[in-house]
Amino acid sequence: MNDDSAQVLAPTTGEPISTIQRRAKAGLWGLVVMDAAGTLAVVVAYAYLWSLNVNGGWAPPGASIKPSETDELLPSSPPKASFAAEWPFWMILLLVCLSTLAMWFGYKELKRGNNAGMIVGTTSASIITVIALIAQWLQISTFPFAASDGSYASAVLLLCAGNLFNLLILIFLQLGMLTRTRKGLVTRAVWYQPQILSYWMVWLCIAFFLGALCTTFMVESPNVEPAIFGTFQQDSA
Amino acid sequence: MSAMSTGAPVFGTDVPQPVQYGPPGGMMRRLNLVTAVVLGVGCAAIAGFVIDAVVPSTASTATFAPVAPDLIYLGMLAGWVIGFMAGIGAFVGPIRWFMGRDLTHLDAEYMAGKDLGWRRYFKFTTDHKVVGLQYLVVTMFLLGLGGLLAMLIRTELGVTWAEVFSPSFYNSMIGTHGIAMILAMILAVMGPIANFIMPMMIGARDMAFPRLNALSLWLVVVAAVCLVSTLFTGGIQDGWSVYQPLASQGPPAMLGYQMTIIVFAISTGVASINLIVTAVTMRAKGMTWTRTPILVYGVIAAALMGLYAFPFFQYAQIMALTDRIWDTSFFNPLQGGSVWLYENLFWLLGHPEVYVILIPGTAVLFEIMPVFLRKPLFSFNFAVAGIIGVVALSGLVWAHHMYMTGWAPSTNYPFMLSTELISIPVGFLVLVVIGTMWRGLVWTRLPVLAVYAVIFNKMIGGVTGIYLSDVPADQYFHGSVFVVAHFHYMLMGAALFAAMAGLAFYFPKMTGRVLDERTASIGFWTAFVGFQVTFMAMFVAGLQGMPRRVLQFDSLFNAPNQIATVGAYIIGIGMLIFAGAVVYSWSSGDRAPANPFGSKSLEWQTPTPVPLENFAVLPVISERPYTYGVPDPYENVSLNSERKPDAQRVGGSP
Amino acid sequence: MTDVNTKGLEPPDEPEAPTNRPPSMERIRTWLSRPYARGIVILSLIIGVLLLPMAWIVLIPMNVTGAPASEIMVNIEQTVFVFTLVSVPIVSFVYAVLVYSLIKWRGHKGDSIPEDKSPAIRTNTIGVVLWTAVSAGLAFFLVVWGLIELAQITSNSYGTVTADQQPGGEQSIIVNVTGQQWVWTFEYPQHDGVTTDVLYLPKDRAVYFNVTSKDVIHNFWLVELGVKIDANPGAITQTGVTPTKVGSFNLRCAELCGMHHAYMETEVEVMEIESFTSLMREMGGGKTA
Repeated sequence: MNDDSAQVLAPTTGEPISTIQRRAKAGLWGLVVMDAAGTLAVVVAYAYLWSLNVNGGWAPPGASIKPSETDELLPSSPPKASFAAEWPFWMILLLVCLSTLAMWFGYKELKRGNNAGMIVGTTSASIITVIALIAQWLQISTFPFAASDGSYASAVLLLCAGNLFNLLILIFLQLGMLTRTRKGLVTRAVWYQPQILSYWMVWLCIAFFLGALCTTFMVESPNVEPAIFGTFQQDSA
Repeated sequence: MSAMSTGAPVFGTDVPQPVQYGPPGGMMRRLNLVTAVVLGVGCAAIAGFVIDAVVPSTASTATFAPVAPDLIYLGMLAGWVIGFMAGIGAFVGPIRWFMGRDLTHLDAEYMAGKDLGWRRYFKFTTDHKVVGLQYLVVTMFLLGLGGLLAMLIRTELGVTWAEVFSPSFYNSMIGTHGIAMILAMILAVMGPIANFIMPMMIGARDMAFPRLNALSLWLVVVAAVCLVSTLFTGGIQDGWSVYQPLASQGPPAMLGYQMTIIVFAISTGVASINLIVTAVTMRAKGMTWTRTPILVYGVIAAALMGLYAFPFFQYAQIMALTDRIWDTSFFNPLQGGSVWLYENLFWLLGHPEVYVILIPGTAVLFEIMPVFLRKPLFSFNFAVAGIIGVVALSGLVWAHHMYMTGWAPSTNYPFMLSTELISIPVGFLVLVVIGTMWRGLVWTRLPVLAVYAVIFNKMIGGVTGIYLSDVPADQYFHGSVFVVAHFHYMLMGAALFAAMAGLAFYFPKMTGRVLDERTASIGFWTAFVGFQVTFMAMFVAGLQGMPRRVLQFDSLFNAPNQIATVGAYIIGIGMLIFAGAVVYSWSSGDRAPANPFGSKSLEWQTPTPVPLENFAVLPVISERPYTYGVPDPYENVSLNSERKPDAQRVGGSP
Repeated sequence: MTDVNTKGLEPPDEPEAPTNRPPSMERIRTWLSRPYARGIVILSLIIGVLLLPMAWIVLIPMNVTGAPASEIMVNIEQTVFVFTLVSVPIVSFVYAVLVYSLIKWRGHKGDSIPEDKSPAIRTNTIGVVLWTAVSAGLAFFLVVWGLIELAQITSNSYGTVTADQQPGGEQSIIVNVTGQQWVWTFEYPQHDGVTTDVLYLPKDRAVYFNVTSKDVIHNFWLVELGVKIDANPGAITQTGVTPTKVGSFNLRCAELCGMHHAYMETEVEVMEIESFTSLMREMGGGKTA
């Protein structure tokens, strides 16, 4: 096949590859805008609920119990709900970034004509994504709260569900890319799909980053005197 | 290289083709609407039975509501969505991509409906013309559903001496009417006209992502069925905006609403991407942005607004769903949720959405007028500026729907400013219409006569919108039927009538038949007259202080409501006549010539019926659009100093 | 090139003698000498005159039940009045063009494609600039007017004052309004917490409302007093008013709140301060605040 991409014609429609690539890249921008709006919706929900602390329901119940108070509790009382640990969010972000770097490496190798490098990059990216997927699942299943434990819990669970969903789609895309490279459908002359996948993964890193920012810097609500539901009084806690 | 076979000729060039697995179309040969419905209903039934068996019937939520009906219904909806999409072949594409079995040219031709005859309308067909007509049918269905509900609503409101329907049924009627009409109006121009006409207008053979085009259509079909299912599970009893937390008190139908929106949002997002990429990257050679017809700008603008705004609505519904099923607290104030969060997320879509509805309708008028007035569009640049201005401001005005919520009273000032500012670019669009009409000799056909009706309504809607944009005035009008009359003037009086004008205009090209304009006009103007009666009376009721979404009211409001109901029946009759003319002409009208209106736009230079590949040879553009008219006798210096020769050259290099 | 139909479109003759008129007047006169220009201007004026009474007419249904009963409502009505007046010019002009086009610019009829006879005007700088200036000017005026009115209404409704900052002075009344499906309850904290289901208000006294809901979103709408604020569950919203008229008015719920939203109405009884105080005392509350 001709290595000069300007002359390579895509199968199916016979248009030049560069035309198809331009279209696909434009489509990717659209997808990023759409996902960014969705991410923004989740971040806005998180931040708004954090700032309002309606009826004192932001924090999971029991999250604000000071250590000294727990001594008064019966030893057999169930563990209280609390805020999620912050480090798992950053760890998963790190994994996604590593996967992105692996994918970029593979894509760059592909453009240099080194198909083996592409396969190495995609395979390692897939493995890292699987690890991230498992980590995300573990994080969700070991949260110290349930979905009904207030608005912080709801927002964090939605965030993590979104992360999980994105990771699932990502593994599908990465494995697909791997298969196609091995079948010879992805080559130096037909490079555009790894390219847009790499761009998409950069966006994913940003989205995961925004989530980690929320869960690290917006934890305790600033509204410490919310109105008590159904009354005209304020909570002076 | 192993996946490629030896080259097959594609448009005269040898292109290495992927391996042809089986007959052209592969799996798609066996999948159609029937398999989709069977699989959809089957999966829904299985999901229903499984969940019914698994969930104990005595299970209840923390607020003592029974859990089982909700979960069963949700499971059935999810089963319907996934089963239908599997059965129509939506997953075939991704699976084939994953396995490395790319489409061959023959596969692509099959999926575009080549040689399939009438069957292609009932399959996952990628041809944009087929998709456009499928959208038209879906839109007409939704309009019919909404219209029927409107007649029932007005019957209840007109019978002021009795309650015709129960309060909960009435509430479901207004909720379902609202959402059905909103969905229909979003699709009214962006569905049929953007899909069918726009690719031809820019000289392309199809859209950028043909399979996504078919996907977006069938997702709408799935969503429409979810919407209809709500009528049987208690009804959407919370208005079309489904404010929380009232929605959590609603019957399981609220889940149907949420699923409808979640699916519809995916469809809209996919369709928006498709339309934008097509318009930006697939214009014919020589079609620079100054030579692009204004409809393309309108479509891009609406798609862009839909793209950034719909995810907010979608996520709001996802959160509402989790609130209901898993007891999360996004909107439940007892546990930290905020009702204002829902309102903000909702209106972040809710406002751009009305421009998604309005801009394409206006752009269609911009296409109609040059053809029937035989003069160019007035100030093309101004029209573009108006459209861009609306898009730019559309995301900054949403909280004018929330002036009275008390969420942040100090934000009322900036939102009032931005809302009043947006009237300026909208005014540009009116100027373009008036300017095009100026000194233009009118060819008195229905598409252009409809423009007068649209502008008449748009001015009334616009002025009453200015009242509502002003916080002091809104303090009286919010939550009254004045608001209802205002948005009906805009969404129905301006947008729907514009869509009807567009349908009358593009009818010959889309259906290959001549529309019976006499009957259609009778229907149109009957509906117009009825419209004025109904909604003027509604303005009066609003001024008197009648709240909205009520089925019983003070006897003070009896007279306006009775008059409005009479008007509504007149609208109904008019719309039925128009729809009848459309259906009759579509099925047994005269065959239409290729260019019955003498339009110089590219889409009319194709034969009728339009062949699969649209253009035998892709055109090359060398002229601005709308090259109609003669030099202005009043001007010594021709204002058209850049005007090129009359005929737009079509055809040319490969 | 087709024959140009110049019927009615001939340029005017030259003036017989040079004049002293300034050039811009000359251009306007030239423009007005064209029959369509005169026609549209006259038609605009006629339609404008016909539409002008709308500014007064729209107030009639608003006042049919006794409004305005407060300064706020007067402000609101002023706003509606001014906005209608200001909208008349543009609406008249647009409608005049529509009407003139339908009457005087009727062209071809029927199925055959007409010849190109309309002037190919792609733009008109003066028209565009004029329209932009006028519409921007009107929008600016409306914004400024609206902002001033909003500031006035905000101060009249004391809407930016939080619950704990409300003056409990001798002269003002505080009402805690609770909306719930499907009834309004009013509590008077200054009068020993007297609770009623009809809203009693004194004339010419500042009244502060703290509004909340026990279940779903309702909307507290005192129709003739021009007061409106959502009753949100989980939040307390504030507004206020000084009633200026004695009488019986309407409180309607203006946000769909379920099955009986339509029935969530009650009366607002405005009375003189002495009657109000004695009524409160009768119901069991001396003034405690």
